[in-house]
Amino acid sequence: MKTKLMVLAISLLAFNGVASGFDLGKLLEERLNQELNKDKKNQPAPAQPAPAQPAPPAQTTTNPPPANAQSAAATPPPAKQKIDARQLGFALFGEYTIEEENRIGRQIAGNLLGAVPLVRDDNLQRYVNLVGNWVAQQSGRNDVSWRFGVVDSDDINAFASPGGYIFVTKGLYRRLNNEAELAGVLGHEIAHVTKKHHLKVLKQSSLIGALGQAASSKAKDSDQVVQNLIGNGAEIMARGLDKNAEFEADRVGMVFAARAGYDPWGLPTVLQDLAGLPAKDSRTSLLYKTHPHPADRLAKLGEAVDGRLDGVRGKDLADRFYRIR
Amino acid sequence: MKRFLIPAAALMLSAATASALAAPGTVLRDEKLYSQPSATSNVAGSATKGASVNILAKQGGWLRVTAGKSTGWIRLLSVRAGAGGLGGAGIGDVVGAATTKSDPSKVAAVAGLRGLHDADLKQAKYNAEELTRLDALSVTTTQARSFAGQSGLAAVNVPALPEPKPAQTSSPWENN
Repeated sequence: MKTKLMVLAISLLAFNGVASGFDLGKLLEERLNQELNKDKKNQPAPAQPAPAQPAPPAQTTTNPPPANAQSAAATPPPAKQKIDARQLGFALFGEYTIEEENRIGRQIAGNLLGAVPLVRDDNLQRYVNLVGNWVAQQSGRNDVSWRFGVVDSDDINAFASPGGYIFVTKGLYRRLNNEAELAGVLGHEIAHVTKKHHLKVLKQSSLIGALGQAASSKAKDSDQVVQNLIGNGAEIMARGLDKNAEFEADRVGMVFAARAGYDPWGLPTVLQDLAGLPAKDSRTSLLYKTHPHPADRLAKLGEAVDGRLDGVRGKDLADRFYRIR
Repeated sequence: MKRFLIPAAALMLSAATASALAAPGTVLRDEKLYSQPSATSNVAGSATKGASVNILAKQGGWLRVTAGKSTGWIRLLSVRAGAGGLGGAGIGDVVGAATTKSDPSKVAAVAGLRGLHDADLKQAKYNAEELTRLDALSVTTTQARSFAGQSGLAAVNVPALPEPKPAQTSSPWENN
């Protein structure tokens, strides 16, 4: 019975993956193994989180406490595993509500900040928020609260989390020459949020979750469930997105920056800069693990742009650009 | 705003050779070279995909390059900086023109710099305090609009870019 359900889920996932263009292979394998192991270990107490999970962040937050304890006591160990039809239906056809998106995004953002704190320069952070918020206003998405932060790492990278959380590393910020380049980088990350790229990946992993969490489905609406969904820490950031999602974010982000009145060539200029970096630079190892090579991104963006932005004249605002200390 | 070199390329070039005032680049697709940074100007030559060029200057969405015997303006997005060829992960080394495929296990660390690695992210613990700090630094849409206006930024109507057509017809099961 269980095997049959697994096969069903995998075939559904395969279909879903093709339709949306996401690379699921690794994700599927990881998630499936995780869920299978959890299932085995959880026989005596099905509603408990997998032992592999480190101290759940939900315990240290001001968010509502997890409902696990309660449901663990209330739910008798089920005789056999069943797919939660609601959860399966959601994984196939559903959408996260804005509240769910905010909760998921906040959890990921909090985890990321646990790995790397904000740069202690309020003027810098304020500046990045002013630029980012203005670019985000051109995205057409006003149901999220946008927050921008420069994180204290020499790595060259940027991150987005659902719900409007955007981060740029100090290493990347230092390479920027003007406000238009910053707007381009932020535009790319804003596009990940407006296109819900991370949520789509999570939704697909929730289909796997629909099997493993069948027994513990009563533990819904707790941040432990969110944590189980997104995995350990900010793992989703390390895993990265499908490369087509990155190409899309380049196209969309460049346009957001142009709509904000900036020189549209900010993002391509940053990509040019990255393309010229030595391949063996440790500061870009995670970037290259999670993104296509900048040269491929330039080529793809070039196909999309061609002469379409020839008439767009924007500002680069090099004078106003906040130079990092 | 005219800028005479892509800063990174310039920086690296100065580290490698201090003589030439040009940065290497590779043409990403067959392109025309124009006499001015505009597609309505005269065609000064052409460059084929994979050709090496010298980048002389940058202006908006255009680069002034020398390709073989011709010099002219080419679209910024049709060239990649660096002499690493057409690109792809692991190729991007300006100094070593004949780059080999890099082995991720042999990535050399740049001295003194600590990178952010997937292990850091996987082991990260939720930091509520930093999140509160982040919230406190956020701005309102009104504040952002006013800041934009101070430098004369105004919303511009720019249509979305089309999704590029797939370059080749591949199996429908190939989702990459």
